[in-house]
Amino acid sequence: MKRRTQVALLATLMSAAAWGQEVSVYGTTMAQVWKSEVPGFDAKTFTPATQFLGIDATKLGTDNLSLHLYGWGTSDLGYVKASGGKADGELTYGYLDYRFDRANAEVKAGRFAINQGGGFEQVDGVSARTDLRGGFAISAFGGKPVLYRPDDPTASKDYSYQRDFIFGTRLSWRMQRVGEFGLSFLQDGTKPAKDLTIPQPVDYTRKQVGADVHLMPTTSIDFSGRTIFDVASHPDTPVGTEKPSNIAEHDYTVRVKLPGQFAVSGNFIERNFYAYFAGTTMPSLFRQDENDKFRGYGGNVTWGAPGSLQVMGDYRHTHRDTYGDSTQFGGEIRWVPAEKFLVGVDGHRVNAAREVLVDPVHPSYSLTHTEARAWGMYETGKISASVDAIVQKYQDKLNPNVNGQAWLYEVVGSLGYQVTPELKVSGDLGYGTTALAKNEAKGLLRAEYRFGMGKKGGR
Amino acid sequence: MGRKTILQLLAIVLGLGMLAACGVVSPESSFAATHPEQLGPGRPVCSDCHSDETMKGSLKPYAAFDHTSDFVRNHRFVAGQDANSCAVCHAPSFCSDCHGGKVVMKPATKLGDRPDRMSPHRGDYMTLHRIDGKLDPSSCFQCHGRANNDKCRTCHQ
Repeated sequence: MKRRTQVALLATLMSAAAWGQEVSVYGTTMAQVWKSEVPGFDAKTFTPATQFLGIDATKLGTDNLSLHLYGWGTSDLGYVKASGGKADGELTYGYLDYRFDRANAEVKAGRFAINQGGGFEQVDGVSARTDLRGGFAISAFGGKPVLYRPDDPTASKDYSYQRDFIFGTRLSWRMQRVGEFGLSFLQDGTKPAKDLTIPQPVDYTRKQVGADVHLMPTTSIDFSGRTIFDVASHPDTPVGTEKPSNIAEHDYTVRVKLPGQFAVSGNFIERNFYAYFAGTTMPSLFRQDENDKFRGYGGNVTWGAPGSLQVMGDYRHTHRDTYGDSTQFGGEIRWVPAEKFLVGVDGHRVNAAREVLVDPVHPSYSLTHTEARAWGMYETGKISASVDAIVQKYQDKLNPNVNGQAWLYEVVGSLGYQVTPELKVSGDLGYGTTALAKNEAKGLLRAEYRFGMGKKGGR
Repeated sequence: MGRKTILQLLAIVLGLGMLAACGVVSPESSFAATHPEQLGPGRPVCSDCHSDETMKGSLKPYAAFDHTSDFVRNHRFVAGQDANSCAVCHAPSFCSDCHGGKVVMKPATKLGDRPDRMSPHRGDYMTLHRIDGKLDPSSCFQCHGRANNDKCRTCHQ
């Protein structure tokens, strides 16, 4: 969407908010400062300021019509620019929403996010959904995909041209005490790379069909998952090479609740990169040409006393064809010892295959690592406080990514004060080490405010 | 399938849908737009109050929406099928904290005063992502595969 169209849309939507009988304005203003000391370079101090702003206006002339806006803007205040020296911003969403009294029917128009099948997309367009008789429901959306243009416009010329239109639809069937089955279709872009003036090997368009399921015959058993197929036409594979699978993803999870507040779950994922990475904007990173495959399975055991204590242990094994195997295991404890007092600890170890190098002295290095975290947050009266500490331990100092440092850590402490019911100010102080910066100190000042009558707040 | 074909298909589907709407649209009333009561701190366990009840609209037991650690990790399934149920308690901005398309800072920084929230990429993730990316680049794809992020492009040309 062109800048002037965005401004016109935003002005129209914001003026529409004035009609709302219930209007909520909420936002967060942040001023950050962090100092980074990278060995061999001068210490640098960064000072960006960021504003998040949202508006929810309901009952716009009728009880069923509402408006929702949210976006952010940022600018560097200091001499050294964290953002490359330019102010930046984005309208995350801005749409009118009409909810019907019956059939959970809903129509949205404007900029909104769609989560359907394998896609999470931002769209400038229209979406609609309704329940049908017999447990069926249908939804559809169409419009212009929101494009994230890089600084270099020539780098996104083909991408912008090909992604001219996005369309998706989903048909589902639900039955009480059985669950839900869904079929979806997504087409993102209508101009394939082979139709470009200079045909390119990288195609930014996608065409997918998805099937999803959520079975819950009893409150104790829950099975959910999806399979996504890449149905776009691709160039023929060279003679003698294996044709890539058009199954982009299998992703299935089953949970069983056991007596004594125990629950166990198992998960299986398989992704074929040729199909799964279709339409990527970074083909050098998400490589379709490697024809690689990922497979992972695992599970966890959870024990929970309602509302106060939750203990989880988990295990996961993964395999990537071109890399090898890895095994992750660990646990997590969350505890609410008193009202407005929450604490948690978790730790995980990843035993990974070795990365092979073409180096006779160091022919490989280990990617095995361990991560541990502890946090707590407390609120009393108008004061709130939290602390969050994380440690990462890398097994092999020869891993070039860690720059010779086996231990990396970060501690963040936060203190907040609720000035009025509508305004809270808080400050975060952080200190830690990264593989590049020996010492990194961070500060953040935050003012959060909420005015109006909205009941939802994303908390 | 060209743009014109899609628009024609969409027009046909919408036209037929409107013609058939009176006959096939569910006569059931829509479920509540907001949760009627304020919820306590921490992750809600819906079935604590709604034991053995079925959520209107989704036709699933409330237990399917219990916010256990496992639920939070796998919320992609529920978000894809029951976005209206999520919207009863969550404003869209709650999702945007992480799923913003184009974001200005990592969620763990934005939510530095909320260590209870599941925020990806805590600590020095710039280092760890080089390992995670080798083990499973597909886990990065959902958020970063199509975002055209300049920071990613700095190294991943």
